[in-house]
Amino acid sequence: MTEKPPAPPLDPRLLSVLVCPVTKGPLVYDREAGELISKRAGLAFPVRDGIPIMLPDEARRLDA
Amino acid sequence: MDVPQIFDRRIVRLHRDRAADQVDHVRPVLEEAAGRLLDRLDDVTRSFGTALDIGGRGVMAPLLRGRGIATVAGDLSPRMCARDGGPAVCMDDEWLPFAPASFDLVVACLSLHWVNDLPGLLAQVRNILVPDGLFLACMPVLPTLAGLRHALMEAETAHQGGISPRVAPFPGLRDCAGLLQRAGFALPVADLDVIHLSYQTPVGLIADLRHAGETNALCQRTRKVTPAALLADALGRLPRDDDGSIAQDLHIAVMTGWAPAPTQPQPLRPGQFTTPLEDALRDSP
Repeated sequence: MTEKPPAPPLDPRLLSVLVCPVTKGPLVYDREAGELISKRAGLAFPVRDGIPIMLPDEARRLDA
Repeated sequence: MDVPQIFDRRIVRLHRDRAADQVDHVRPVLEEAAGRLLDRLDDVTRSFGTALDIGGRGVMAPLLRGRGIATVAGDLSPRMCARDGGPAVCMDDEWLPFAPASFDLVVACLSLHWVNDLPGLLAQVRNILVPDGLFLACMPVLPTLAGLRHALMEAETAHQGGISPRVAPFPGLRDCAGLLQRAGFALPVADLDVIHLSYQTPVGLIADLRHAGETNALCQRTRKVTPAALLADALGRLPRDDDGSIAQDLHIAVMTGWAPAPTQPQPLRPGQFTTPLEDALRDSP
């Protein structure tokens, strides 16, 4: 068994109020990848140990 | 609009990351400030269901949750905001990642003084508060660390013939009131409180600053290593009381402001008055 343990779930209330820090637009939570995706900004914000890292500098840039 | 970059946010984050394991050394100071801040909640009749804690260093969020308020802890350092194990977000205070009207209460305890765009931050805070939500904050103001600032300036002048910025340029109390007003908060109030701190040795003061993640993060700081002789000279120049202790009082501005709501007391506009001034003057003795 080499599967990673599932990431701890994000607090649902927290998820309901989080937006993209750059555009203030909505985020899509990709639980598999552990990322919060802002389509408008083209950024994917990582979630590490249940903590969303909402820093534009650390976000993965989505390819157009 | 370009905001002047006074503070190096990358370094602020590094300092807070480094301090995450050591911050318990200064817990008494943080708890004192947090306790005084939360005393203000006892003075208001409104109850709060949800809160955002900005930079509470693992001290503020548990206190809020203890009051039955569902709290999200936010910090620039992921290690710092994860300290108490509750819901946490790593965020840049200058780019708040929350939707409008997300929280009843936003609290910032000793965490706003490394922010470049304070007016921008306060405007965002007002926006994420529900109408009639409360912003409650305290931040160090002048003359906090004045003794250390002067000692460093004198020592650096003596050793190197010039000075470099080493202590953050804290705002004054009046600036804080003005900032609240400018950000559009209703019923803005800023008042002064002093936490008396006294150190037996200068090294204790420096260690506390490091444990709190409060060492120099100014953009224009000197990149050279501070010579030990300079630092020793500066620490020797710190003003001492009669008993030899070093007083470095923490002067804090306690700021409260409400997100505007129609239910709040409103000033009347000119022409809305119903009693002529003439009558009022005639009735008075």
